[in-house]
Amino acid sequence: MRPAAPLWVLLPALIVLPLLALLPGISHGGGWELVGQFAAAALRPSLDPIVLGSVLGGLAVTAGMALLGWAGSLVLGLVLGIASSRVVWRTCYGSAAPASWIRRLLAIPRSIHELLWGLLLLQVVGLQPVVAVVAIAIPFGALVARVVSDLLDALPTASLEALRCGGSPAPTALLTALGPPLLPQVISYSGYRLECALRSATLLGVFGLGGLGTELRLTLQSLAFNELWSGLWLLLAVMLLLETLMGWLRRRWAMPARLGLSQRGVGSQGQEMVAVAMAMLPVLVLVAWRLEVQPATLLQWQGLPPLGAADWGAVAALPWPRLIGNTLVLTLVAAALAVGLAPLLLLLATPWPAAGALVRGLWALGRLWPPPLTALLLLFVLQPGVLTGALALGFHNLGILGRLLLEAAETSGGNKEQALLAAGVGPRLALLYGRFSGLARPYLAYGAYRADVILRESVVVGLVGATGLGSQLLEALSSFAGDQLLALVLAYALLTLLGEDLSDRARQWLLETPHGDGHPQEAGGTWR
Amino acid sequence: MSALLKLQDITVKGRSQPRLDRVSLQVDAGERIALLGPSGAGKSTLLAVANGLLTPQQGRVFWQGEARARSGRARRRQQARIGTLWQDLRLIEELTVQQNLNAARLAVWGWPRALLNLLMPLETKACTTMLQRLDLDPALLNQPVSALSGGQRQRVALARLLRQEPQLLLADEPVASLDPRLASELLTLLLELANPPRALLLSLHRPDLLAGFDRVLGLRAGRLVFDQPMASLEPGQLEELYAGTPGA
Repeated sequence: MRPAAPLWVLLPALIVLPLLALLPGISHGGGWELVGQFAAAALRPSLDPIVLGSVLGGLAVTAGMALLGWAGSLVLGLVLGIASSRVVWRTCYGSAAPASWIRRLLAIPRSIHELLWGLLLLQVVGLQPVVAVVAIAIPFGALVARVVSDLLDALPTASLEALRCGGSPAPTALLTALGPPLLPQVISYSGYRLECALRSATLLGVFGLGGLGTELRLTLQSLAFNELWSGLWLLLAVMLLLETLMGWLRRRWAMPARLGLSQRGVGSQGQEMVAVAMAMLPVLVLVAWRLEVQPATLLQWQGLPPLGAADWGAVAALPWPRLIGNTLVLTLVAAALAVGLAPLLLLLATPWPAAGALVRGLWALGRLWPPPLTALLLLFVLQPGVLTGALALGFHNLGILGRLLLEAAETSGGNKEQALLAAGVGPRLALLYGRFSGLARPYLAYGAYRADVILRESVVVGLVGATGLGSQLLEALSSFAGDQLLALVLAYALLTLLGEDLSDRARQWLLETPHGDGHPQEAGGTWR
Repeated sequence: MSALLKLQDITVKGRSQPRLDRVSLQVDAGERIALLGPSGAGKSTLLAVANGLLTPQQGRVFWQGEARARSGRARRRQQARIGTLWQDLRLIEELTVQQNLNAARLAVWGWPRALLNLLMPLETKACTTMLQRLDLDPALLNQPVSALSGGQRQRVALARLLRQEPQLLLADEPVASLDPRLASELLTLLLELANPPRALLLSLHRPDLLAGFDRVLGLRAGRLVFDQPMASLEPGQLEELYAGTPGA
């Protein structure tokens, strides 16, 4: 018995069954009243001008941090991506070996979550506006670098070779032959990164780095739910506006879609793109000036408490198997929840437009609501632990995967679904057979990548009580145990690199089409 | 003969002009009808109204004397009796031939069977019979559709159509992208399959393939310009139908 493609996307949802069995055991039920108050406050957000002013100010700071971190990551990513591209080194230097070494080195900053970067920088330079910006720019930059180098190395090289044969110098030939096809793909990808940067900036705020996230956490902790919802609705509006704008730009510029199912255009209206990029420059300068972001402050280290001599025996005595095991369980449960529930909910809601709108709303909330806040909210009714953390992370990633699935479903497989509908098949079965068949492989390939991201993100809920490497990291950070901190960060990096390798292999396997006619070949392989 | 499908004064609006303009026609059991017309005449729209994918802004559709249900199960029951052969076949590449054939039964199957079909081979005997009827090797049942040749895919699409057990067969330009040999083979098969009590309504771009049809409809700019027995069709009518279109 081998499940066919449409069932693959639903199988991870089976995780719900053991979860339902386990939830009563970790439920303490003490805070249902609070959860009710939280839900009711959604309809009555505070309209107090002072609250709104504070929320708007926080949002402006978060958006500014996101914009600057994103711009920094693009610059870093482009430079490092070109520097780690095999084709660039082969053309300029005759050997691709240095590219491989740079790629390996870049894996380290990529594997460390922006929150960890933020907290580490906070310890070193104190609370500075530049901390959040750099915390976003470093891992995002390393991620963009990998994507840029992957894209560059995947481009056809015939025109490059022709130019080189004609005597063009290497840099000119590279720019002329590979620049135009690379640009639209990088711009399309950078749009997605801006959405991610906004989410990350909110998250960093939750951990005290300023902006709306800080407001959200404070209002949640003081149970001021009406004020909390003022911030949430505003954040939702901005997030949806940004997503709509990015979607519009992608369509206008014929950008490749994330799952690579509908189109793989080389882009158009290049002048317009360059003009938009140029117009961003003064905006960035203005934002940096308003937020008082001064890169020089990164060099002004604050006095750290004296670090004791390294106690490697104590480091070795840490319960490593439990820490790593819990982190992995948390990742797998959250990934299965996110990957499996998105298609299941879409399927259940399909016949009713109102239910569809509700599911979309739920996903939008999941995307914008930082996982630590979900974890805090869950703590009203559940005990802290791996499952609580997994639920928080699962809900957040469900929002991201749900939107992606919806995007892909709207642009692929429509004909087959239509054929089934015309034959009298119900809307749910038509969706399952007609659309999910083609979507299964690229969706799960993206899900494999998402699992890799969740592993990295597990630190985020680890810091609010879920046991695992994250909780231990918090302890090490707050007790200035440098040796433990180093060991834990290294362990995280190794684990995430291992996860990245596994998810790469899973994606490769999923995207291998058995008969060589597959449309989704390129999907998921590069989009990160 | 009893009327299977009846379209009465059907109008489907378009951007500048109607895609269908007060079209009325009746398809009786046992009839084999060719629908002719230049590109953009409204042939695909007419077939979409017939199979229920499109609801016309004006006019009424009757299936076996009953008005077409607006939505829900009753409508799906009616649609299940109308099978469509699509120009691009619309087979589900990722599933096996057997799963594709069984997909034609989804309108009458419940969820448990629909899910089981994705887990294990179901109704192998019925599927084998369908393949044999179309001169296909039953060993293909376990093959993914993506592994089939062009000719095999055509026949599997026909087998799926038959597996649906429709009373009315619709075909939207089924030979448009086929070479002459495959086109003639497919038309012969379709005409054979449309024996009474079944009926066939097939849209064609090429008037040279009309042999074997009982009746012919001419559609131009959304209007039905002729509806008559094949035997009485004059060459001048075809010239008039295609006048002013590229390649005419």
